[in-house]
Amino acid sequence: MTQGLPKMGDMPVLIVDNISKSFRGRAALTAESFAAPEASFTVVLGPAGAGKTTTLRIIAGLDRPDSGRVVLRGRDMGGLEPKDRDIAMILDNLALYPNKTGFENIANPLRVRGRDKKEIETRVAEIAHTLKIAHTLKRLPKTMSGGERQRIALGRALIRRPSLFLLDEPLSSLDAKLRIELRAELRRLQRERGSTFLMATPDFNEAMAIADTVIMLRKGRVVQIATPQELYDQPVDREAALFVGAPLINLVPARMGGGSGAPAILTAGGSLAMPEAFATLPLAPDVPFELGVRPENLALASPESAPIRGELTDIEPLGLKAALTVRNEACELRALTTGAEARTVRIGQAVGLAVRDAGTLTAFDAQSGRNLGHAPGL
Amino acid sequence: MQTKKLSPLQWVLMLMALTVTLFPVFWILMTAIKPPTDWNASPAIWVPSEPTFVNFKTLFDPEAIREYGVGGVSQSATKAVFGSVLASVTATFLSVLIGLFSAIGISRYGDGNKATPLIILSGRMFPPAAIAVPFVIIFSNIGLTDSYVGLIAIYVAVTLPFSTWMLKSFVDDLPREIEEAAMIDGLSRMRAHLTVTIPLIKGGLFATTMFIFILNWSEFMFALVLSYTNVSTIPVQLAKYVTATAGTLYGVQAALAVLAMVPLVIVGYLIQGHLARGMTFGAIKQ
Repeated sequence: MTQGLPKMGDMPVLIVDNISKSFRGRAALTAESFAAPEASFTVVLGPAGAGKTTTLRIIAGLDRPDSGRVVLRGRDMGGLEPKDRDIAMILDNLALYPNKTGFENIANPLRVRGRDKKEIETRVAEIAHTLKIAHTLKRLPKTMSGGERQRIALGRALIRRPSLFLLDEPLSSLDAKLRIELRAELRRLQRERGSTFLMATPDFNEAMAIADTVIMLRKGRVVQIATPQELYDQPVDREAALFVGAPLINLVPARMGGGSGAPAILTAGGSLAMPEAFATLPLAPDVPFELGVRPENLALASPESAPIRGELTDIEPLGLKAALTVRNEACELRALTTGAEARTVRIGQAVGLAVRDAGTLTAFDAQSGRNLGHAPGL
Repeated sequence: MQTKKLSPLQWVLMLMALTVTLFPVFWILMTAIKPPTDWNASPAIWVPSEPTFVNFKTLFDPEAIREYGVGGVSQSATKAVFGSVLASVTATFLSVLIGLFSAIGISRYGDGNKATPLIILSGRMFPPAAIAVPFVIIFSNIGLTDSYVGLIAIYVAVTLPFSTWMLKSFVDDLPREIEEAAMIDGLSRMRAHLTVTIPLIKGGLFATTMFIFILNWSEFMFALVLSYTNVSTIPVQLAKYVTATAGTLYGVQAALAVLAMVPLVIVGYLIQGHLARGMTFGAIKQ
């Protein structure tokens, strides 16, 4: 399965070619393939246990794949120790040396490579300045805050200029505010240096904010390789659609209306005009499928004329926006509106819902959950 | 060190525990400085009225005790002290060295293999007396009885399960990611273990070394059955003060026991900081 390899003129920095790995008989990765082009920010996205960490560890040389190859700048990495691979990595739990100060932690990669003292001092000072951790250099990790430790680990990786940076959930232990701040900083550093980053995260928002390309992993298999926007608009299947975006996408049973007249989708106790894109889909009249509607694609409309009607059962204020829950005899739908609009309606009231942009509707196969509109190899 | 206020009940219990632990030590110390007439006087003499060093002198000069009209000591303890130091130090060093590398191997590269550590531990499941006889037979066939090489070999074999298991628990407690970070920083696997793993389990390493040394230092049975004339250790020598002609020389025995305690007390004092940290290493994970 090499469908994900981008067609590019020059060689990607990293090629992961058909990697499989199992631990004690349990498959952790199955035939994983992808590539990361020069100066790109690639994110490996997936729930816990999807194989993100294993992927990064195999690329780093900490674990050995059962089969397959890791190719870094055209060189097969098979059998090479981590130190010979021209990579830097931030491990899941940071793994700072507890008996070394901030300075010594950051300086370690240069020290073990025998660089001279003067150079080490200048470069550590430089990195510490960029990461705003100059004040922690003389302290031991146990006296630092979570964010400071995170930055020290970042500094230890960034002190070198390897071909590839591997980041295993580097922001997971931080509070929300710091996470957002640091991820912007990561993106900036990557751009400024033109480095190639590969980051693992379970958080779609993080991937969305930072990635050029997202590699979606599930149970050790690559399910989709796409830009964050593509992943959001055309998820490969139902599960991927549910994994990205909050509030969750609405998945409602639907079928194409038969008979004469303009083609329509019969769903949610109503009828929607069929979007153009659906014309090419393998949808026969009266064969059930599942319609995917993002909550932000549903708008409040007058209960008389709206294609979908129901009772408003819940309003969840989200600040600028509000999530509405609308229920009728066929299904329950979530719609995202502005906070102001939400204040015009009350729980218990009959409301109507209309689709804002029919172009973003997705159709999933009722049995397999596959996105019928997703072109393979996209 | 943190100081802690004790309740009266805790004081009493603590005193009782101290009495039970320290009374034998006190008695040995007192016996070591008693003249022969006081050794097993009845009623017991707690503190000798005329303390003497004759018992200590007799250890290295068997004739010294004759001034009290007691004879029967034929051999000086010099060889036994030398033998104990040689066998215990060498065997402890080898046991901890081999145990350290097996511990790292099992902990880091064992990959779920539960059998190997258990097989290593099974060496401790036999009563020493049960394996002593086969050892004597095997060692006499290959000419290792009454040699330090043989004695050290068996000490290493017997203590290796302890050193492996103790060190394994310390290595297990150390997150392997720290070593992996070092490998990514540019160290080979071996150098990562030598320069990162070992310094970080220093406390455990000291505690284990101390423990293994005590085991070897106080070992009696193997030394007894494997030694004739060339080899001797302090515990074997202690048994030699039970004489046919003069009865048991309690004072001389006590003097040698006091000497045997000295290195343990000194080493214990020197490393007590590490010892305490080693013992609680697993409890204070950050």
